[in-house]
Amino acid sequence: MSRDPQTPQGYSKTADSPYKWEMVVDLDRCTGCEACVIACHAENNIRISGEEEAAQGRAINWIRIERYWEGEYPDVKVKFLPVLCQHCDEAPCEPVCPVYASYHTPDGLNAQVYNRCIGVRYCGNNCPYVARQFNWFDPHWDEPLAEQLNPDVSVRSGGVMEKCTFCVQRIRTGKENAAKEGRRVKDGEITPACVQSCPTSALIFGDRNDPKSRVARLKKSERGFHLLEHLGTHPSVTYLRRLAE
Amino acid sequence: MDLHRRTLFKILGLTAAGSALPGCERDVHNLVPYLLPDEDIVPGVANWYATTCQGCEAGCGMMVRVMEGRAKKIEGNPRHPVNEGKLCARGQAALQHLYNPDRLQVPLRREGRRGEGRFRPIPWEEGIAEWVKQLRMETGAAAMIARPMTGTLTSLFATVLDALSGRLLLYESTGEQTLRTAHLRSFGTPVLPHYDLAHADYLLSFGTPFLEHWLSPVSFGVAYGKFRQDRLMVRGRFIQVEPRLSLTAANADRWIPVRPGTEGLLALGIGHVLVKEGLTRLSSSQLADFQPSFSSVSLEHISTTTEVSQETITQLAHEVSSATAPLFMGGGPAAAQTNGTETLTLINALNVLMGVIDRRGGVQWREPRHSPLDIAHPDLTNEHELMDLAQEFEQGSRTLLHLYSANPRFTLPPSLKFERVFERAKFIVSFSPFLDESTMMADLILPDHDPLESWGDRIQMDTLPIPAWSLSQPVVRPLYDTRPIGDVWLEAAHRLGGSLSKRLPWTSFHDMLQSKWERMIGDREDSSPTFESRWKEALRQGGRWSMETHPRQISVTAPSKEYEPPEFLGNSTEYPFYCYPYPSLSLHDGRGANLPWLQELPNPLTTGMWGSWIEINPATAQALGIHAGDLVRVTSDYGTIEAHAIFFPGLHPELLAIPIGQGHQAYGRYAKGRGINPLTLLGPTFDRHSGTLASGATRVRIERVKGQSQLVMLDPKNHPISHHIQETGGL
Repeated sequence: MSRDPQTPQGYSKTADSPYKWEMVVDLDRCTGCEACVIACHAENNIRISGEEEAAQGRAINWIRIERYWEGEYPDVKVKFLPVLCQHCDEAPCEPVCPVYASYHTPDGLNAQVYNRCIGVRYCGNNCPYVARQFNWFDPHWDEPLAEQLNPDVSVRSGGVMEKCTFCVQRIRTGKENAAKEGRRVKDGEITPACVQSCPTSALIFGDRNDPKSRVARLKKSERGFHLLEHLGTHPSVTYLRRLAE
Repeated sequence: MDLHRRTLFKILGLTAAGSALPGCERDVHNLVPYLLPDEDIVPGVANWYATTCQGCEAGCGMMVRVMEGRAKKIEGNPRHPVNEGKLCARGQAALQHLYNPDRLQVPLRREGRRGEGRFRPIPWEEGIAEWVKQLRMETGAAAMIARPMTGTLTSLFATVLDALSGRLLLYESTGEQTLRTAHLRSFGTPVLPHYDLAHADYLLSFGTPFLEHWLSPVSFGVAYGKFRQDRLMVRGRFIQVEPRLSLTAANADRWIPVRPGTEGLLALGIGHVLVKEGLTRLSSSQLADFQPSFSSVSLEHISTTTEVSQETITQLAHEVSSATAPLFMGGGPAAAQTNGTETLTLINALNVLMGVIDRRGGVQWREPRHSPLDIAHPDLTNEHELMDLAQEFEQGSRTLLHLYSANPRFTLPPSLKFERVFERAKFIVSFSPFLDESTMMADLILPDHDPLESWGDRIQMDTLPIPAWSLSQPVVRPLYDTRPIGDVWLEAAHRLGGSLSKRLPWTSFHDMLQSKWERMIGDREDSSPTFESRWKEALRQGGRWSMETHPRQISVTAPSKEYEPPEFLGNSTEYPFYCYPYPSLSLHDGRGANLPWLQELPNPLTTGMWGSWIEINPATAQALGIHAGDLVRVTSDYGTIEAHAIFFPGLHPELLAIPIGQGHQAYGRYAKGRGINPLTLLGPTFDRHSGTLASGATRVRIERVKGQSQLVMLDPKNHPISHHIQETGGL
């Protein structure tokens, strides 16, 4: 895939990083149990929106399970689709941000710098996966629920856009540990919270640059596809089709 | 044990420092066996503690991440045989149980009328003294209703209640008593076997919600992943038979809807074809016992009654016979009828016919060679026995009610008139950590610590490939002036004195637990020299799992020759619909309703959250002039509920399905006054053999009513992905 090393934002997408983090979602394993959703909430200090805000479509989920009904009784089927930020290589959210809050890390993550964000929500509008969600209000936890908050992850205030980070705090820890020992990160050493919790191991995370990693191998599966592939966003999340009769 | 005793912790802390588990695959984790004292806490460094989930009966191993004395995250324990490092949404939400703003913080005494909800804080001494006074006054009249449990705490309760001629009732509405009764009839043991899904290549499940809440959902989730995709050339095939397409059925290769209550008949039909066409894997002598049960049936009759075509029945039998490792499981809605046990024994018989008992990929019973002798593993209670208890309270032979993490006023249908117990009891003591509907009626509340603040253990013989003895330990200091229920019961036993005091010589529950474990891990298969080092190793690991097992002796019995059809309450003209209230994925039997994470977790099939709904088949709704989102009323002979109508394409046209879990009148700010409790609709009808409530056996009618109905949904229908799927016709 050839591309301009310098994007309009002025950073290099082919920056010198040995890692390229990607995820594989095996739809033949995913049962829709939503263990990943709570894992993500707990790890990433995601606010509790409450019934009223949720009713206005303002509940925040960095990962959600979409479900699609097919057919009519009695020939009915349901398909589950976990949707999270696809960490696109050509991310539509990045060029529209006027303040470079939405940017691409050398590891290929699509990151959000919260304290740059001015809340124009252009990025959210431009994301075809509806992966970006806006904090319309400051978050609130009834005491002492806030005791649970993860000190490794910042709490987002009102007026800020947020989204899945692939648990960048865990990636950072993993990379630091590996660097201390003077080696590369091992396959399976870093697991985002959703991947860690998934009972059926439907979510797989790793380094695409490591040809032996599970992600790199599964990515090549003939079941593989990308969400809204025709848009040319080049997502870092590869889905493996569910097998059907 | 008093967790504030600094000196003790200093000693323990020193031994704990630097005790990161050798060989642990997650070497970034600082896994420590004991709660660290303040001076050993390094800011910014996470410690991980192994403990056991108490969210349901599965007993998954958990790892809790603790930083600066606060619990931050719960993950599955990778070394635990139940869940292999994985954990469900409810287990992970246990943090919000610990840090729940509505937890009871001090002992309370009732003021005003019973049930009014006015309490005043009292000192512990006053609370325990009052309780002991009541125990002395009401000798022989005590009863305790608790959540299902095993292990040392259970044996403590049992010992005290035995001495007082009291009754201990372990109750949970999803306790699978029907399955135990069926196994007792089919195999001569009520112990639930290990269903080896991971190694099966064909699963025919009759209603089992094994990916939701049945037996051990995380364990089944792990196995399901392997069943589908872990083998090179084999992808397990999975058929689900049930009247409502559950989350589990959504994952099946084929969903076969049946008329409610006829699942057993379908099993009979499949067995009939297997026997008739000589496709079973039994020797002719073994088959002789089973032949009578399966030969004298008419496939035509079965097809008409179940609404499954004869071709499908034959096809299923052929698929079964061509599988290398077929597996049959029954439960959920199939067990929730008056013929539940009958249905499950017929499904058990299919496992026998196909020779999968004690086979890889089949149904296995394993027991440890060395069994933990004196650890109590009492039977669970069913609804019928609870009605007997209500009778005893009415007659005055029971007067003193104890409650512990059981909420019968919410989980039992009002038609069972269990309310009598709360009206007639002379004194009610609750040890529950929340003011739920039942604890609201208490005269005295002596709140327990949170499980994450407590010592405990759990002995699991059911549904596991290897039996497990799991440990629970405090991972944080107690937040409030609560006390571990075990300590409080030991204290009461000492005050009651006599032989009871002698039989329970321990001063704290922690000591009692240790002494029980000393006998269990005292000698064998271990090189560690001292008990202390073995104990610490067990704490670090999260328990002990015995690898040395042998197959449990079972005796196979054929099902009865006479098929028992289901019976329903209410006539079909006045009440044209079947009704199935099902345990919610996130709120379970209602216990999850006070946790905001779980309230805000969209139901995967309807995307509904923070509320209740009534599921109806779209064609049925159209015929009745009901639109999606209408407020509808469902009525039975026993009660009425009103809620938001949801069109549910995967529903038998004559069935209404409603999630259980909402409709609390108490239980804290997140639960109270939200949605409806569908158990209101159910009449007192039971499975004939197990005495379990037949929760799918009350007929209802539905009508549209005027008024507003609101339900928050996370429906992605306006998303580009959804448009794309509609345009291209699927994923």
